[in-house]
Amino acid sequence: MQQRRTIVSVLGASALVLTLAACGSSEADTADGDGPSGSLTIACGAMEDLCQAWTSAFTEATGVQTSFVRLSSGETVARLEAARSAPEFDVWHGGPVDGFGAAKEQELLASYESPNAEEIPAEYRDDEGYWTGVYLGVLGFCSNESILDNLGVDAPTSWDDLLAPELSGQVSTAHPSTSGTAFTTLWTQVERLGGEDAAFDYMSQLHTNVLQYSKSGTAPGQHAGRGEVAVGLVFAHDCVKYREEGMTDLVVSFPEDGTGYEIGGVALVAGSGNEEAAQAYIDWALTPEAQNIGTTVGSYQALTHPDAQVDDRMVQLDSVNLVDYDFAEAAAQKPTLTARFDAEIASQPRD
Amino acid sequence: MTDLAAAEELAGTTAAGRLALADVTKVFGSNGEQVRAVDGVDLTIEPGEFVTLLGPSGCGKTTTLRMIAGFESPSSGRIVLDGSDMISVPPNRRPMAMVFQSYALFPHLTVRQNVAYGLNLRKLPAAQIEEEVSLALTSMNLLKLADRAPNQLSGGQQQRVALARAMVMKPKVLLFDEPLSNLDAKLREQMRLEIRRLQRRLGITSVYVTHDQSEAMAMSDRIIVMNGGRIEQAAPPDEIYRRPASVFVADFIGRANFLPATRVESTGAGTARVQVLGETVEVPAHPDALTADDVVLMVRPESITLTAAPAGGEIRGRHGKVVAAVFYGEHVEYELETETGNILVVASDPDVDAIFAEGADVSLQFASDRAWLLRQP
Amino acid sequence: MAVTGLAPGAAGAAPPAAGAPTGRRGRVPVRTVVRQDPVTLALVVVVVAILVVLVVLPLATVLVRAVSGAGAEVLISMVTSAVNRKIILNTVILGVVVGLTGTVVGFLFAYAQARLKFRGKRLLHVIALIPIVSPPFAVATASITLFGRNGIISNQLLGQPWNIYGLPGLWLVLSISFFPVAYMNLLGMLRSLDPSMDEAAQSLGASKWHIFRTVTLPMLIPGFASSFLLLFVEAIADLANPLVLGGDFTVLASRAYIAVTGEYNVPAGSAYSLVLLLPAVTVFLVQRYWVAQRSTVSVTGKPSGRVELLRGFWGRVPLLTVVGLITALILTIYGTVVVGGFVQLLGVNNTPTLAHYQYLLSGIGNDAIIDTTLLALAAMPIAGVLGMLVAWLVVQRLRRGRGLLDFLGMLGLAVPGTVIGIGYAITFNTPLEIGGVRLMPALAGGGAVFGGAIAIVMVFVARSMPAGQRSGVAALQQIDPAIDEASTSLGASGLETFRRVTLPLIRPAFLAGLTYAFARSMTTVSPIIFITTPHTRIMTSQILSEVDAGRFGNAFAFCTMLIVIVLVVMGLLNLLIRLLPGATPAMATKEISA
Repeated sequence: MQQRRTIVSVLGASALVLTLAACGSSEADTADGDGPSGSLTIACGAMEDLCQAWTSAFTEATGVQTSFVRLSSGETVARLEAARSAPEFDVWHGGPVDGFGAAKEQELLASYESPNAEEIPAEYRDDEGYWTGVYLGVLGFCSNESILDNLGVDAPTSWDDLLAPELSGQVSTAHPSTSGTAFTTLWTQVERLGGEDAAFDYMSQLHTNVLQYSKSGTAPGQHAGRGEVAVGLVFAHDCVKYREEGMTDLVVSFPEDGTGYEIGGVALVAGSGNEEAAQAYIDWALTPEAQNIGTTVGSYQALTHPDAQVDDRMVQLDSVNLVDYDFAEAAAQKPTLTARFDAEIASQPRD
Repeated sequence: MTDLAAAEELAGTTAAGRLALADVTKVFGSNGEQVRAVDGVDLTIEPGEFVTLLGPSGCGKTTTLRMIAGFESPSSGRIVLDGSDMISVPPNRRPMAMVFQSYALFPHLTVRQNVAYGLNLRKLPAAQIEEEVSLALTSMNLLKLADRAPNQLSGGQQQRVALARAMVMKPKVLLFDEPLSNLDAKLREQMRLEIRRLQRRLGITSVYVTHDQSEAMAMSDRIIVMNGGRIEQAAPPDEIYRRPASVFVADFIGRANFLPATRVESTGAGTARVQVLGETVEVPAHPDALTADDVVLMVRPESITLTAAPAGGEIRGRHGKVVAAVFYGEHVEYELETETGNILVVASDPDVDAIFAEGADVSLQFASDRAWLLRQP
Repeated sequence: MAVTGLAPGAAGAAPPAAGAPTGRRGRVPVRTVVRQDPVTLALVVVVVAILVVLVVLPLATVLVRAVSGAGAEVLISMVTSAVNRKIILNTVILGVVVGLTGTVVGFLFAYAQARLKFRGKRLLHVIALIPIVSPPFAVATASITLFGRNGIISNQLLGQPWNIYGLPGLWLVLSISFFPVAYMNLLGMLRSLDPSMDEAAQSLGASKWHIFRTVTLPMLIPGFASSFLLLFVEAIADLANPLVLGGDFTVLASRAYIAVTGEYNVPAGSAYSLVLLLPAVTVFLVQRYWVAQRSTVSVTGKPSGRVELLRGFWGRVPLLTVVGLITALILTIYGTVVVGGFVQLLGVNNTPTLAHYQYLLSGIGNDAIIDTTLLALAAMPIAGVLGMLVAWLVVQRLRRGRGLLDFLGMLGLAVPGTVIGIGYAITFNTPLEIGGVRLMPALAGGGAVFGGAIAIVMVFVARSMPAGQRSGVAALQQIDPAIDEASTSLGASGLETFRRVTLPLIRPAFLAGLTYAFARSMTTVSPIIFITTPHTRIMTSQILSEVDAGRFGNAFAFCTMLIVIVLVVMGLLNLLIRLLPGATPAMATKEISA
């Protein structure tokens, strides 16, 4: 059966060739000469298209081959940990900073004080230089107008509005252990109501109106957009994005009694293989030009750089009542709070 | 192996059936390619008769059997049992039972449960079923194996279970589809005698399909030789053997020599004078052979005797030369060259010193009443 | 799950769970063992080494992590914590429910295919196998669109606000996704039932219905048990659907995922994986080595004849109606997938658009399609040959150690994907060094050689080889052992015999193994999530993020693309192998019928 053997070995050889072809060159060039060079790999916590836009822009601006993997903050921390001795990423860009806090705790980040960081307001930076904020997301109510009309309710303007009996089974939020958004919601209650117990009291009241706790943080907005629920608890920019994408019934509103927010950060990964280029990337990410890329791909987070362009679709920070959000404390309490949430809230039956 | 007394008790009082097939035809295939598997079969089987359908593969014997059972329906013709037309009766309502080539025992049931299967269907009282089953098992000498699973039995034992299962139903007709072909030779011979003895004792009408002619000869009251969907001959074994209706039958059963012959004249009822191998003899003839243009004389190898002839003689007429001689112990087979071709001669219980060697000159004789004139096909 | 060529005739080639058929006449054929030549021995060593690296090593790493430190805490909490107990209960319930439903549906389809007379059998067969070639998210996403709170059918058509998230949705989606396994299994069994059994029962007076109850069904019991167990394992190991549709209904697989990705706690994830692993492997073992051996399809004599197909009204119409309804459901769901790729947001905004496909065929989408296809193609021959080799060694070459090698090969499938994924991420993310000497570079993750593609190919091979092995074993057992011996007596070494004699005879099984390997590789997701890198974008991982981001349109387009690619490659393979000259297995079966 000569033919058989030939076929098999040809297939086997092509398997090898294909494997090589499938990835192109992945070996990092050694940095050489003036200016940053080589290649970078970014762990990116923002939406896929924003990640693509960021990395392409940087590549074009500097010639450094930059690629990314889109990961949630939990996955990023896990993979940074797993590859601790031989990091696969150089920079972590995008995603809530409490994840950055956890990474900093586990000594997975390196401190880098970029010259551009000075221009970013101090409250949006880690005081030890481990991360710097590039955008802000404000937690808000993402409501489906036609569903609200059917239920005869107005768009909620306070947290207590969510407890209305008409909204039974009509609220969607995520589970705080998988979703940064949902954890922000939870911690916001802690800050707003002045303590854990009060927060859990509110959450268990809200529980009756919640349809389910989704895994992904942005899912509640989709649920509202698809008309499956009346209100989703997401960051306002996600709501706007969905509306732009075609879920035209969505409206954004904010609780007057104070809401939480997230800071999206950028940080240098400890032990990066290409520190010079990584630092150049961070410098670039903090510039207004880099931050403005967001709106070009439908991401409407508020930006940290004072000179960055303000778009109508972004949240006007001064028009919203933000609670005093202690990121460090929140990060520290996360494990206990999410475990408590699991036991006391998520598993309770709804009456 | 069978306990005949028990079997007889089992058979009880069910009357054996009379089966009649009238012009039964079965055509397979659609408009383009049609195959006449069974072609105009007429047959009547008397109550208690053991009839074998015999023939080569594709002759239609199995199809005929399956039509009797009801697993195929005839394209035309009628199948009548004891006066009732079976046309609208589905196989599970016909008072017949079938024994299959593969035995078809239910593997998830024990021997006892297998045999009881049909009786359970009739919703008889449990005690009665118990009794009949035990009787059936005893008659087949299977009582000790009653609680075994089929895959724990030998082929012969499985066959007996299949038989018991069929017989316990007290059918009017028993159908056999080559039931012994999966057994080894010795067992086959044993089983065929058992089946025959049983059938005789019980008197159940039986239709048996096989391609093995010695089986047919040993077991049957009548053999139905089939070829190409038609019946070539239906007769008792001796008649089939001695007086075959055609060259096909003569050739299919036993071995035969066909000597070219010329008919000189027909002489009265069933005989004719023919010229064969250089001599004229008066031989029995098949009716067709009395009027056919071309005839051939069948002489079976064991009917021919050889005597030594002077060496160096011509091969002419009754003189021939031995081409091959094979000693089988209880007989010798000779291949003989004659003026009309090679023929086969068999000599039983040969005198070892008198065995002809290859190349020997011999002259052959046969009794004229052992020959049989047939129409050349 | 097994797939063969999409032709009913080929169905017999690879029922995934068909145990070793017992030999005719009730005796398992004894294979005389040829004294091993060195080539065979070397092969055994190589194969075992490969299997160890592919499956055993990652598995062991996970186990070690699971019982250490944080992992041990979680293990203890499995018993003490009410939440965790609920998760275990959820997992078991899901497995049981899907196992039962999938088996029943699979049986209905198999019975219709094998025993009923109707037109469109080939079509039905194809439809029954569609779920095998489709990615896990297709059905889930389509179900949300059709049956969700605001689903096209549930709400817009029927005005019912069903909540599809949670157990109901998972039950529906998983049953549809996995019933083909039961279908293939039971179809193979039904087809190998001795038809004269039915006739014997008829000749004893039984009606068709009675035969079905007392003969057919009892003989299929091993098949039912086998299918149920297989489906149970598949259901509890599934990660993709609980992530999308699970809602509040958490199962072990999704919990493990959350532990790793949400809580940054790999040891805890390993612990959950361990708890998932135990029932999965146990059930798998029970199914394979106990139930399958009790298969008593036919043990007496030589089966002959054909089964008569049911033609009557009452025999056909009820069953065909049910089958028809389920088929309509399947077609609707997959129809939704295809249509959804061409409208903005199906159910919400139905304007037609090509934007999704544009996104797909440029940039990231493009990369994912090419990368995944190439890697799956690369894995395909490796998995096919490896599976065949293992099958050959197990059936024809080994006596002792046969069971162990067989089990080793099956591990890749018995172990849930999540476990393997975590294992690979832990084991292969860093180079393997012993005493400061680098033995093996990192194979997974962004810092790896070839950008982590090797690890992905390894995972593909590990997951898809077992099915090829199973169908190979089934095919090889049909071959008369005397053929192997004849080749050896003529001077061929073990490998030469395999190449020249065995391989041509098991061509259909080999082909089945190849096509299945490709389909499985393209649609696998649970392990992949943990080892994707920027250089190896995998379609299923992309689809997950599109679904996560609510961009159902893109997700549908991706799914459609994936199905098309799988079908095209399968078709090409079928064509290629058919064009090659070679033997058919029927030529070499043990009993040459007279």
